[in-house]
Amino acid sequence: MSESAPSAAETRRIAEAARDRVRFEEEALGLSDQVFRVARRLAGSREEAEDLVQDTYARAFRSWRQYQPGTNLRAWLLRILTNLNIDRGRRVQRTPETQPLEEGDYFLYNKLESSISDENPDEERVIERLSQNAVVEALAEVPHDFRDVIVLVDIGEFSYADAAQILDIPVGTVMSRLHRGRRILKRQLADKAVSV
Amino acid sequence: MGCGCGDCEAMMQPYLDGMLSDRELGEAREHLARCAGCDRRYRFEEDLRHFVRIAVEEPMPDELRRRLADLRSSPPAAQP
Repeated sequence: MSESAPSAAETRRIAEAARDRVRFEEEALGLSDQVFRVARRLAGSREEAEDLVQDTYARAFRSWRQYQPGTNLRAWLLRILTNLNIDRGRRVQRTPETQPLEEGDYFLYNKLESSISDENPDEERVIERLSQNAVVEALAEVPHDFRDVIVLVDIGEFSYADAAQILDIPVGTVMSRLHRGRRILKRQLADKAVSV
Repeated sequence: MGCGCGDCEAMMQPYLDGMLSDRELGEAREHLARCAGCDRRYRFEEDLRHFVRIAVEEPMPDELRRRLADLRSSPPAAQP
C-alpha cells in the first residue's frame, strides 16, 4: 500500500468540499443582481459599484469556507462589500461639521400638496410631483451614514438586525439613522419636486 | 397640515415599520379612521417608500455578470 495514495475517505472528503464550493459559488452568483442594486446606491458611481461587486465576489470566493451555511448569504456578501467600500477611503468624503437639513415627516407631503390646485388630492397625484431622477439625486445627496442605512433597509430590504451586522453598528443606531435619514431624504426631495 | 397634533407625525415611521405596541397601534388606527389628512399622509409615505425602491433600480450590466461568473473556481462547462 503506497503512502501517497489518498484513502477512499479522503478522496470523498475532497470531492465533497469541491461540491460545497461550487454550490456556494452558484448561490452567491444567484444573489448578484440584489448585491449590485445595493452596491450601486452605496457607491458614488456605476463604475465604482461594478468594481466593488467584482472585488466582493473575488474575496467571497477566496474565503468561502468562512461562510456558515444556513446563515444569510446576502448579508454576508454585503458585509464584505461595505468593508471594501470603507477600505477604499470613501469616508474621506465626509463633512461631519455640516448638519444635514431635516424637517418633520409631513414636510414633503405638505410641500407637494400645496403645489396642486385641488384641495385634498389623492396621494397618487401628490407622488406624481416627484420624478425618478429626483429620487436618484436626492438619495445621492443624503450623507453616507444615513444613506447606508436607507439603502440597506429601504432598498435592499434587509432587517434592522442584518443592517446592524453589515455596518457593524448597534440596532438602535440603525433605527435612529433610518428615521433621520428618511427625513433628510424627504427634505432633499422637496427641493426637487416637479413644478406644475 | 394633517390634524396638526404632531403626535401622528411622530408615529408615522414606527407605525409603517411595525414598531408600535398593540395599544399604540390601536390608537393610531382609530385616529387614521377619523382623520383623512393624516390617513393620506401615511398612505403617501408608504407609496413613497415603494417609489424610492423602484426609482433607483438599475439593471446589472451583462459585462459584470460575465466577470463574476469567470471568478468561479470551476465553471460548469469545465465539469465532467
